[in-house]
Amino acid sequence: MIREGKFGVQEAMWLTTITISSKVFYTSPGLVVSIVGNTGWYMTLISMATAILGFTFIYLLLKRFPDKDIIAIFNDTMGGIMGFIFSGILGLYLLFVATSTISEFNEVVKVYVFPLTPSVLIIALFALGVLVLCLLGLESLARFAKLSVYAMLFGFILILLLGIHNYDINRLFPILGYGFDKILVSGVVRSSSYGEVIILAVFATSLQGVHHIKKAGYTSLIISGLSISVSLLAFNLSFPYYIGQEIVAPMYQMASLIDYGRFIQRVEPVFLFIWFLSSFIAVTGVFYCFVSIYCKMFRIQDIRPIVIGSVIILFAGAMIQSNIGVTASLNIQNIRQYGWIPPFILPLISLVIGTLRKRGVKSCG
Amino acid sequence: MGRLRSLIMLCIMLILIFSGCYDIREIDDVAHVLAIGVDRGVSDKWRLTLQFASLNENSGNGQQEGDGSSGGGAASESGGGQDGYTYVTVDAPSFFTGIDMLNSSVPRRLVFTHASLIVLSEELSKDDIVGDYIAPIIRFREVRRTAHMVVTKGSALDYIRANQPFIGTTLAKALQTAATESTNTGYFLHTTLSDFYNQLKSTCGQPVVTMAAVNEFRHFKEKGSKWGNEFNTGGQYLAGQLPRQGQNKIEYWGTALFDQGKMVDELNGQETRTLAIIRGEFERGFFTLQDPKEPKFVIPLDVRPAGRPKVKISFNGDTPTIDLTIHLKGDILAVQSRLHYEQDPLLSLLENTFKKNIKSEVDQLINRCKNLNLDVFKFGDVAARKFWTIDEWEKYNWNKHFKDTKVNTQVEFVIRSTGTQMKSSPIPGTEEED
Repeated sequence: MIREGKFGVQEAMWLTTITISSKVFYTSPGLVVSIVGNTGWYMTLISMATAILGFTFIYLLLKRFPDKDIIAIFNDTMGGIMGFIFSGILGLYLLFVATSTISEFNEVVKVYVFPLTPSVLIIALFALGVLVLCLLGLESLARFAKLSVYAMLFGFILILLLGIHNYDINRLFPILGYGFDKILVSGVVRSSSYGEVIILAVFATSLQGVHHIKKAGYTSLIISGLSISVSLLAFNLSFPYYIGQEIVAPMYQMASLIDYGRFIQRVEPVFLFIWFLSSFIAVTGVFYCFVSIYCKMFRIQDIRPIVIGSVIILFAGAMIQSNIGVTASLNIQNIRQYGWIPPFILPLISLVIGTLRKRGVKSCG
Repeated sequence: MGRLRSLIMLCIMLILIFSGCYDIREIDDVAHVLAIGVDRGVSDKWRLTLQFASLNENSGNGQQEGDGSSGGGAASESGGGQDGYTYVTVDAPSFFTGIDMLNSSVPRRLVFTHASLIVLSEELSKDDIVGDYIAPIIRFREVRRTAHMVVTKGSALDYIRANQPFIGTTLAKALQTAATESTNTGYFLHTTLSDFYNQLKSTCGQPVVTMAAVNEFRHFKEKGSKWGNEFNTGGQYLAGQLPRQGQNKIEYWGTALFDQGKMVDELNGQETRTLAIIRGEFERGFFTLQDPKEPKFVIPLDVRPAGRPKVKISFNGDTPTIDLTIHLKGDILAVQSRLHYEQDPLLSLLENTFKKNIKSEVDQLINRCKNLNLDVFKFGDVAARKFWTIDEWEKYNWNKHFKDTKVNTQVEFVIRSTGTQMKSSPIPGTEEED
């Protein structure tokens, strides 16, 4: 068994919240506007509600197997081969999320901050940081997430408040955007945005029991939902729908519009701080999850050699993306479109089969 | 553990060493462009003029005049440790090629992160191609969308040539304070690149841009018959026509009206104030009112908004009806006639006269814009509330229907203060009064 350390509810909650919420700093808000117009701020609440339902299946599954993580549960409920396949799908999904996120980070950084710096340097440095944090272990990552969240929250709220002078309530109308049917469908499908909550199931044994996972899971989903909703609301208030869908990184652009004369302007560095830090934690969390799944699948006890090898795969995967168009409109869009299947449907299948096969305990005290 | 620490230290060192390796810009290797001028070119499509600090302490001792095509220099008025400013101009096929062409003649790299003014020539704006010129600028990561934007009479080159610090030595500060001076006068709007671009693509209305000009002081007449008792509001001039004289030739005055990407009309100062009042962007202005009792005298008022304008829109079929209520308040600044306007019944008379004047100006401006089918008042933003979906809204096409709108206007105005005087006592004369 891999020794991943132990941490509390708050650490788990903030790690999951940051991992879920960081995507709001990338191209996703612009893509949301192109799909549902100016209604992303409440569409994401539908996604959150769907994700809460999805997490309920995960929680029920974990409740049936109180001392096991999801990999062990897959093996138990689905049998060795199917469990291995399910774990593999989940692991590959998380690796794909991690590589796409780094790639998206690289593209957006190049657009706005370091246009001349080669991708290889940005991605390599990022991957190096991920490597170090992974070697330090899951517990360090979770504690780092909790430590940094206060600064990030402060910066996040500051940016939202300073942007008030650009907000126009009329930009929220027509109130149904491109139509309620699109909002509903996209809201359900884009529950994938909250799919990273699955990391709690992967790290289940590092938490102090199922009730902690329940608390961390639901709280992180609600906090993430609210923070993403508030971010999208600020974005919708700042840009009309026909402009919002053009912008590569809307939240960055929103921060750059903050201008109170010569007194306060150019506050993007605050945004960059939040953005870089949250991206780093998010990618590391998801990537560590992949490594952990891999080790558990092959019953490897020492995670460190796998981390080093996997970081090379992470680096290569991020480098493969050819440009921001491919990253944003293909990879990220595919993750949002189908990304709800691995974190929510696989545990649901496992739960159903586990129940039918009467595996696990029926109730947990 | 030791190896892990070494690895961590190595990473930190690498990050410190490599960060900014490629994008590093030493402060003395770059020239920060402050103003961007865009004209239609002669030798090529774009005539691009860039103004930046010359960083030369002695550059203020004179002014180099460019030949209008190859560049030149414009420096601050005095030297003695004051930095000057210079400009370069090029005709180029595109914005970015123009930058590269200019970089080959400027010994420092031109960067645009501090560009705070974008000047379009009126000639360019009246062509149907402004969008072509704005597109590369808006996409360019270095240009901030908060940059002020103006349309100038004459060429942008001439404007930038005349664009020098007038008070103080910092052009960047001058540009910032001048652009935001609209809040104190209302004679021009403060428009940014972001505002213009948003409105350019808007389904709710049409763009407006601050009008600017180089005033050659030709309208200032030193000699001639003296002014009689005729009344002027002071806002009736167009940009570049103010009868003034002095050091600063640059003036922001009035508004350029655009139909999508093409400038189609221009508002004078007074109309711009009215536009600002309707849009809810008016913050303060001194209004000169003709004395209702003694028309040869005027009563200046310090006017401010008493709340945001209330816009209600209803639809009768496809025809929109707009109910606009404007709330203003003001202080009496002077009563030349010394009549007792500080209290009723003259106070009410003064308020009603002002209300009537503003209502008349509002109605005239709205009718003028309706005839041009230009919703520059942001009524469309409110009208969008009446539609459930974007598809319905876009299908309705507000910009097409604006000319059919019926607009009912109402102006509320109260005088809140009479300034430092409760009343004006008459000046005793030596002759007996009738």
